[in-house]
Amino acid sequence: MANDFDFTLIAKVLPILLQYLPVTLEILVFATFFGMLLGIVIAIPKLLHIPVLKHIITIYISFIRGTPVLVQLFLVFYGIPALLKLVHIDVTRMDAMYFVIITYTLSNSASFAEIFRAAILTVDRGQMEAAYSVGLSGIQAFLRIVLPQAIRVAFPNMANTMISSLKDTSLAFSIGVMDMVGRGETLIASTTRALEIYLALSIVYYVIVMLLEKGLKLNERYLNRYMPKEATSS
Amino acid sequence: MTIDIAFIFEALIEISKVLPLTLFMAVTPVLLGIFIGIIVAFVRIQQTKILAPLLNFYVSFFRGTPIIMHIMLVYFGIPIVVDVISITFKLEFQSSSIPILLFVILALTLSAGAYTSEIIRSGILSVPKGQLEAAYAVGLTFSQAMRRYILPQAFSKSIPNFTNVLIGFLHATSLAFFLSVKELTGVANIVASINLKFLEAFIAVGLIYWGVSAIIEWLAHRIEKRVTAYSKGGI
Repeated sequence: MANDFDFTLIAKVLPILLQYLPVTLEILVFATFFGMLLGIVIAIPKLLHIPVLKHIITIYISFIRGTPVLVQLFLVFYGIPALLKLVHIDVTRMDAMYFVIITYTLSNSASFAEIFRAAILTVDRGQMEAAYSVGLSGIQAFLRIVLPQAIRVAFPNMANTMISSLKDTSLAFSIGVMDMVGRGETLIASTTRALEIYLALSIVYYVIVMLLEKGLKLNERYLNRYMPKEATSS
Repeated sequence: MTIDIAFIFEALIEISKVLPLTLFMAVTPVLLGIFIGIIVAFVRIQQTKILAPLLNFYVSFFRGTPIIMHIMLVYFGIPIVVDVISITFKLEFQSSSIPILLFVILALTLSAGAYTSEIIRSGILSVPKGQLEAAYAVGLTFSQAMRRYILPQAFSKSIPNFTNVLIGFLHATSLAFFLSVKELTGVANIVASINLKFLEAFIAVGLIYWGVSAIIEWLAHRIEKRVTAYSKGGI
């Protein structure tokens, strides 16, 4: 095996890999959006202490956080068709992309639910009482007083979840999605130069993670614009 | 296809035989990573010239790329380096004789070093500066102060973060499956392929990961309670 490392190959494959960046970002955007929605829905029973539902959700969250994303991918990939077969719907030929988005949605929802719950609990109860005393209804008080403060607290953690979710998308290729890594695998098969292509992939991931981090930091500063200087410096 | 409950138990027993290997693959990188992390954290806090920017890049690169990339880069990159060294020094050593497991552990160690260094750094920075000054005032040297006052406090504050890292790396060992290492996920895939019962095998392996994660979390919680007992307040 010739071991001469080929730098030009990295430059050559970068544009090819970047063509598949939208697929990766598509997974990220959908999984984050649906993950937040589901996260809000499953945070509510825990916040309102709804008896049985609360325990089911605790188990759900603990399972999602206790298993690797790779295993979750396989569980969704083999599990959902088996479940739907019970009601006579055949989804075995469905695009693997849907399974990936479902998996990352489930996986994000558990993190988001915990983040939202913790953030809402950090808002002082007095805020809600003050809102009631000036005549706001429960929903108004929550949406106008509690939620904006909770989002400020939750945002750094949400940003972390998004970034780790972006890194997790690198596993989507394992169930046959043609994303950046999937394209990289086919390039390895055709060029037999694994190291260069994985380096190119790492560079792409590093750059988009850094960009995402910068963007989220700016947004965080925007959310903190009403806070006194000492509190925002951390 | 109906779910074969009995097979889940069968798979559970079969797969859990490699649990020790998986635990070894998760714990070794984290322990080694803590050593790397301490060194990296100190260099970055002291802002040593040349070394600090290099280590900044090391930390940000390993935190900014997926762990599977680290495993692949080490797996494909190290053999080239080893072969070049062994050819230039005319050694009889060949990279193909290195077990795959070693590559995985090396990759996870490098990755763990980056993650733990951030935890240790934030832990050290969370200890009030007055503690160090107080230690100096009673005549301790820097390293004494660090070993006896600052690091113990930093570590006890960082236990929840270390737990997350340990669980994260337990989950990251599942990536070794791509290099066909026979750890939990790899064996689950083998069991699944032999019996053509994929869902059951992956339910079984999911339960194992879940159980181990829950045990780690419970243990960490107990350790944390004991270690932070000094700061409970009261008399």
